[in-house]
Amino acid sequence: MRELGTVPSRRFAAFFVAASVLGGSLARSGDTDRGIESLPTLADASVEAVARDVDRLIDQFLADQGVQAATRCSDEDFLRRASLDLAGRVPTPEELASFVQEAGVTKRSAAIEQLISSEGFSQTWAGYWREVIYSRATDVRSLRWQNVFERWMAEQLAADRPWDEIVTMLLTATGDTSEVGSTGLIFAHGGDPTELAAEVSRIFLGIQIQCANCHDHPYDSWKREDFHELAAFFPRIRVRRTMDGEKRTFVVESADNARTGKTPPIDIDLAFKLLDRDQDGRLTAEEVEGRKALGNRIFRMIKLGDADQDGALSRSELEQLAQRPMNQVGRGAAEYLMPDLEDPTAEGTRTVPVSFLDERSVPFGTKDLERRGALAESIVSSNHPWFARAMVNRIWTEMLGQGFYSPVDDMGPERTAELPEVLDTLAAGFLANGYDVRWLYRTIAQTEAYQRAMPQAESIDAPAFAAMAPTRLRGDQIYNALMQVIGVEKLSRRALAASRAVQGSGGDGDFGRALFSALFNYDPSTPQEDLTGSIPQALFMMNSQVTHGAASSRGGSMLARTLREFSDDDDALAAVYRRVLSREPTMEEAAICREHISHVGNRAEAFEDIVWSLLNSSEFLTKR
Amino acid sequence: MHLTRHDLPRLSHRGVSRRSFVHAISAGAVAAGTLSFRDVLSLQASELRRQGRSMILLWMAGGPSQLETFDPKPGHANGGPTQAIETSVPGIHIANGWERTAQVMDQIALIRSMTNKEGNHQRATYQMHTGYVPSGSVKHPSFAACIAEQIKNAELELPSVVSVGPTQGAGFLGVEYEPFVVQNPGEMPRNVASPVSEARLQQRLGLFGKLEDQFAQRGGQTVVENQRQLYDNATGIVLSDQTRAFDISNEPQDLRAAYGDTEFGRGCLMARRLVETGVSFVEVRKNGWDTHIEHFDRLGKLSAEVDPAMAALITDLKQRGLLEKTLVVWMGEFGRTPKVSARGGRDHYPRVFNVALAGGGIRGGQVIGASSEDGSAVQDRPVSVPDLMCSMCHSLGVDARHEHISPLGRPMKVVDGGEVVDELFG
Repeated sequence: MRELGTVPSRRFAAFFVAASVLGGSLARSGDTDRGIESLPTLADASVEAVARDVDRLIDQFLADQGVQAATRCSDEDFLRRASLDLAGRVPTPEELASFVQEAGVTKRSAAIEQLISSEGFSQTWAGYWREVIYSRATDVRSLRWQNVFERWMAEQLAADRPWDEIVTMLLTATGDTSEVGSTGLIFAHGGDPTELAAEVSRIFLGIQIQCANCHDHPYDSWKREDFHELAAFFPRIRVRRTMDGEKRTFVVESADNARTGKTPPIDIDLAFKLLDRDQDGRLTAEEVEGRKALGNRIFRMIKLGDADQDGALSRSELEQLAQRPMNQVGRGAAEYLMPDLEDPTAEGTRTVPVSFLDERSVPFGTKDLERRGALAESIVSSNHPWFARAMVNRIWTEMLGQGFYSPVDDMGPERTAELPEVLDTLAAGFLANGYDVRWLYRTIAQTEAYQRAMPQAESIDAPAFAAMAPTRLRGDQIYNALMQVIGVEKLSRRALAASRAVQGSGGDGDFGRALFSALFNYDPSTPQEDLTGSIPQALFMMNSQVTHGAASSRGGSMLARTLREFSDDDDALAAVYRRVLSREPTMEEAAICREHISHVGNRAEAFEDIVWSLLNSSEFLTKR
Repeated sequence: MHLTRHDLPRLSHRGVSRRSFVHAISAGAVAAGTLSFRDVLSLQASELRRQGRSMILLWMAGGPSQLETFDPKPGHANGGPTQAIETSVPGIHIANGWERTAQVMDQIALIRSMTNKEGNHQRATYQMHTGYVPSGSVKHPSFAACIAEQIKNAELELPSVVSVGPTQGAGFLGVEYEPFVVQNPGEMPRNVASPVSEARLQQRLGLFGKLEDQFAQRGGQTVVENQRQLYDNATGIVLSDQTRAFDISNEPQDLRAAYGDTEFGRGCLMARRLVETGVSFVEVRKNGWDTHIEHFDRLGKLSAEVDPAMAALITDLKQRGLLEKTLVVWMGEFGRTPKVSARGGRDHYPRVFNVALAGGGIRGGQVIGASSEDGSAVQDRPVSVPDLMCSMCHSLGVDARHEHISPLGRPMKVVDGGEVVDELFG
């Protein structure tokens, strides 16, 4: 028998010994005796102290490698980067001008503080989590209520709810999916225990345990049993369609009264002998209702098993029903049954819920919310480092463009991390600060590593974190940036003329935001190097009426106003650059543009070409 | 696997130039390194077999009733008011409402014994488009992407997968095999035409390229390189004459009338133009088959739109000599309950459904498998989804056991399990 709460777990310990002997992934940190099942203790877990520790560790690593880190990025680049990361938008030309002119060593900290306190912070990161969850949704019915989840997530972030509480709410949610946003993750998988086990582990722990679904994982310590013991925390979830007046919606609920699997099988011969009064080989509701326990049991099963919809159960339908496995997706079952690989038609093995993280377990018969609560406790527990590490790895990867582990959701004890001691320093700080989400963003934004320039051409292959890696913007960031170029809050329906709305994928009633989400969003768990854009994105930026309008020099457009305001081409060009790319043009860029203007010989036309080129540039779609 | 004399004229008929043919062979030879004479011969044969093959999927979204399409049961209570009609093939009867399709039955093979377990729209649709049931941990590439990867035309300037309406994506096979989704079939797709002249577009692209170089020098090399490749492809589409294949306005009026002036009819005509141009996979979708209520009324309207378009497509492909290399598949995600419900509808029924196939080497004029008298079970020759997928691969010259490696390092075959339904090709 396993013991409850054994820490460190046997499997981690076993791996640790093996890795030390082989000089595996841990050797790089030079800190092998700390082990991987615990985080370091920090003397000072303040933002400043942890940011300093992080930079010290990275600088030391780069020095050991004989690599020179990139210089500090310009104020312009910093403000655009921080505005996108912490508020989901680009700075206005006015913000940019005042920030660049401002003196003082604390202006970057002040900007970080201001951005992170803005509404944009919770909105943009709620959008990020929506994509994390719904990019992998296996129940498409859930997509219609993505906005409910997104709104709920934004509220939690705005209210500074700690990460462990947010995740606990997601794991223990019940209620109407059109109202209770925390049901989002469970509904995204229709309450399916195996999908939920896989996704919960992947998203919140960075561990891809689902590979052990069918077989023992070829590279990892997890056994098939571990995966199914994790799934065993979820069998009692039921996702039910409901009609509330005119409103059709779904409810996530606990099915604690589901069949326990302990009831003896129905004696089919006896049932027909006793109950089939007209001897037609069919058991109707009238024949069975109220006729002892057996009759009542069959009465309850009629709706479930009536495959040919004749309002009665035939012998074969009853036999089918008796064979029906109990862990039916989203229907609720008393206990989870681990499928038999040799015989997929067999009922499977009743499996006790056990968390592979700390061996925490609950007995058979435990109620749904107690089970899910026990799993949530195990996941957010400080007894293991993966919950904190997974979040740090995700946010760091988003902000710096490179992660400690890549892909962000494939960590675990047998993967190799870049600078694992930096990850653990941040994870320890995150934990010491009670999983305070904003603490993590603040700390990362304060590091010198975050504030570096992009790599110079000759050092493109430099080691991790020596320079900022450019990353692709998400749909809402691109939309916000484009709205600034056009100079409107949101696109009018008319401006989007022929474009179709995509259900539930955008902000409330903001048609343009929905379009951009559908067109430009990507699964945030995809490594940056795999994000190459799509043909429809390119065609949209090249030819759509939206871009055409944004680059137009007619009427009261941004460009028309700029050209009227600045008669000097260099001044007009600088204004265009500030508005589109949040920076001044370089000397070379100014020369290229001047040459274009003189070559075209028509100022308005040449400037339209320039705005078009900047909107289509990779830089416009990139956080630099 | 052997090369017949008849293949060559069809290649040129297809618009595949001799140059591209030679190019494909030599590229294969280079990839394989030094080859013996025998190797070269067999390589040529397999290349030739694939060359110019394509597939048109007529997707009946919602789950079409087998009893009101190609497996009517007029003699049984479950059959409802649906009648069986004769076809061009003696002994094969299909449901009324499909009179045009009945006339080309000699080109069509029906499978009446499809059987599956997924009765949920999304899961079954995913499975019928990928060969796999959905899983949160990996987004399987669509079957369309898998086949395009193997049979795409290297000289094509258009995307190799096109779909009328949304469909399954290419997953980890990447942007090259993503479906190009068309909203209004028969018209030039949105954002394909440049709002400025070609000269102006070239002027812009020149400036764009110079400014991109600047960003590459500032540290954006990787993103600039991605953007360059993407814009090369997108510009290729915008400037290509091949985009005319999307536009059916110059097709003769009587041909357009034969397909039907409906969204589905226009989609089928566009599909023919696209495969003629070299597109590997076109999906044309018809929604509305989820007939839980008002089943018989709605079925009549659905067949009135699909029947003429499907028959015209097969006839048109045949007349142009394209049918032999173009596999046409009519299917949906599952069938419907044989017994009519109290609400006058039929509900989801994956246990028995039917599929119609034509072209691509399929022997027409035959029925494979059978459902039981009341339609509730497969009586003869059950065919699974992997069996169907293997058969489609066989028709297209695609290696069904070719393995892709998922991003997490898991090998994944184009089709896992299943066997070719040999009778289809006999």
